[in-house]
Amino acid sequence: MDDYMSGSEEDYYYYDRESFDGLENEGSESQWAPSKAPSCKVITKESLLAAQREDLQRVMDLISVREHHARTLLIHYRWDVEKLIAVYVEKGKACMFAEAGVTLVGAVDLDLPESSSTVQCNICIEDVLLSDVSKMDCGHCFCNNCWTQHFIVKINEGQSKRIRCMAYKCNAICDEAVVRKLVSKKHPDLAEKFDRFLLESYIEDNKMVKWCPSVPHCGNALRVENDEFCEVECSCGSQFCFSCLSEAHSPCSCLMWKLWTKKCRDESETVNWITVHTKPCPKCHKPVEKNGGCNLVSCICGQAFCWLCGGATGRDHTWSNIANHSCGRYKEDGEKKAERAKRDLYRYMHYHNRYKAHTDSFQQESRLRETIREKVLNLEARDSKLRDFSWVTNGLYRLFRSRRALSYSYPFAFYMFGDDLFKDEMTKKDREIKQNLFEDQQQQLESNIEKLSKFIEEPFDGYSEKQVMDIRMQVINLSVITDDLCKKMYDCIENDLLGSLQFSIHNIAPYLSKGVERAAELTIGWSTQAGCNNRCQKADDQANGGTIESDQPSASGTSDDSGHSTWKRARKESVGGGLIDLNLPAEFIDRID
Amino acid sequence: MQASRARLFKEYKEVQREKVADPDIQLVCDDSNIFKWTALIKGPSETPYDGGVFQLAFSVPEQYPLQPPQVRFLTKIFHPNVHFKTGEICLDILKNAWSPAWTLQSVCRAIIALMAHPEPDSPLNCDSGNLLRSGDIRGYQSMARMYTRLAAMPKKG
Repeated sequence: MDDYMSGSEEDYYYYDRESFDGLENEGSESQWAPSKAPSCKVITKESLLAAQREDLQRVMDLISVREHHARTLLIHYRWDVEKLIAVYVEKGKACMFAEAGVTLVGAVDLDLPESSSTVQCNICIEDVLLSDVSKMDCGHCFCNNCWTQHFIVKINEGQSKRIRCMAYKCNAICDEAVVRKLVSKKHPDLAEKFDRFLLESYIEDNKMVKWCPSVPHCGNALRVENDEFCEVECSCGSQFCFSCLSEAHSPCSCLMWKLWTKKCRDESETVNWITVHTKPCPKCHKPVEKNGGCNLVSCICGQAFCWLCGGATGRDHTWSNIANHSCGRYKEDGEKKAERAKRDLYRYMHYHNRYKAHTDSFQQESRLRETIREKVLNLEARDSKLRDFSWVTNGLYRLFRSRRALSYSYPFAFYMFGDDLFKDEMTKKDREIKQNLFEDQQQQLESNIEKLSKFIEEPFDGYSEKQVMDIRMQVINLSVITDDLCKKMYDCIENDLLGSLQFSIHNIAPYLSKGVERAAELTIGWSTQAGCNNRCQKADDQANGGTIESDQPSASGTSDDSGHSTWKRARKESVGGGLIDLNLPAEFIDRID
Repeated sequence: MQASRARLFKEYKEVQREKVADPDIQLVCDDSNIFKWTALIKGPSETPYDGGVFQLAFSVPEQYPLQPPQVRFLTKIFHPNVHFKTGEICLDILKNAWSPAWTLQSVCRAIIALMAHPEPDSPLNCDSGNLLRSGDIRGYQSMARMYTRLAAMPKKG
């Protein structure tokens, strides 16, 4: 990975040119997307075997076991090699093997008498030839017929990953080679199924690997290295939150996002309002809203009924009483409930409107790509001193990125400062202070984003050179500022807001300047081949539409080194090699062209 | 011949041979269907089931012995791990801990052991489980005893 960090200045120039070529050629989604992320890998059907080979090999070397035992161990410990090693060190080999169902030494009690040519199988209670029995590693010995039947039943039950020995209380996992050999004789298709289950265990039992949630399914899985709380992009183009597999939603936590989407879908507040503010007419069952006056309500169908209990009544009444009808004691309760429902609805509408507004802007701005491309072409056609227009594309990308963060910050605020999740964790005053702090930051970010949007939308391809230079300065400046503000907002959320909670754990994906991490193809053994390394790197860079390498760690990720993020699991600093670092001072960016 | 049939046939022979050896269990195969068995088991001594004779119904699946037989009590019994109405039994070896090495005979033995050692923490009969869990051993025993007398003992006179 270190190789990614070192790049000479010629490289910068080289990659930069590439970026423009790429832009003219396709200008597709990938141009704006962040480039490769070294910590996330795509695993295709083809590379699945190779992907697990690494882990298997590590375990085989470490504990010196055979491959099928290594696989059994890894399946048991959910492909977490570190955990496996920890258990190995802590409890010792014997204990670990027993837990996982690995038996190395054949039990002595079932040693076959050498002389007899037949032996009784305890399952079918038949005498069978010695050549027709199989002995597992645990020492238990049954006839091949019974074994085969057993395997078939287990594979069909979906137990391929842990087929245990048939003997009572024998925990041992059967040798996969024996399973394969016996099953394939009778049912080759089942043997194939068995093999596939074993292979896919690497994805299904592994918390660091998940299927890409794309529909229709692209067949890929993604593997992250350090942190499962991140946002990734599969090679098929779909972006998602690795932790909950829904769309990338930071700075909302997964739980918040789940609640939010459900709320938006249900329109539950509207339903709430209707239930509180209307009563069904006892005759025609239409919901009736009371628009003032006393509690004798009459429906448009002509039916009069008591607003308080919903029962049909006659038409005679005074202000407080309906003739022969009395149920007034619930009045106070009802009013309070109505008030609360109304307040909650307004609160929800406030946040939802803003969320929606920014999502809409985001969608409209996506159309900017086309116009921006034209503008850049126009500018390039002119004979001017200014040749490098990466600031336009960078600025546009920054706009998308921050707009996204901004829109998702509204659902976050809705839950952070609402009663649903953290009512008992903050005092009212505490919450008010925090809300102010957060809203200040949100506001700043919002105004800068709008400014950036304004400059980018200007028809600067018709401007004079000086005016273009001005806009360029503004865009570069605003890009840096918004990026910075986004980062601060995430910091604030992670450390001051979510970090101070005592009871609930909410993890959010860290802010990455360049956006969602794009998963790289899994290249097996590339790190060991220095020669291939450079080639891969260049190829990757070209494929990803040009990147600028930076010597300093790009300002991605969170400020882990600042030490105040102890509440969440430590993240290894993800070093964003090969990415546009928009936080560099303007002079640095100048130097590029 | 089907593997399950062959195995059941072997078990049948074994049962005939061992009839005298284990007087607590009496396994009988249905005359016309080798996949249907009934058993009479004696309630273990020093339990509220002592003196009772309980009837079990076995329904053996085609995949036997790779899959466990379905067993239920035909005689009403008050026991935390037996459903009071259906007679269904909650016993690990009849579910996920089944091993093909078990036989119908050994299943009967396991059920007798369960009668002597109820597991109130996974009850199918909550009333019975709650009595035991709350420490009301006497309450449980008298209820179990009563149902044994009512349902599992031949009426005299």
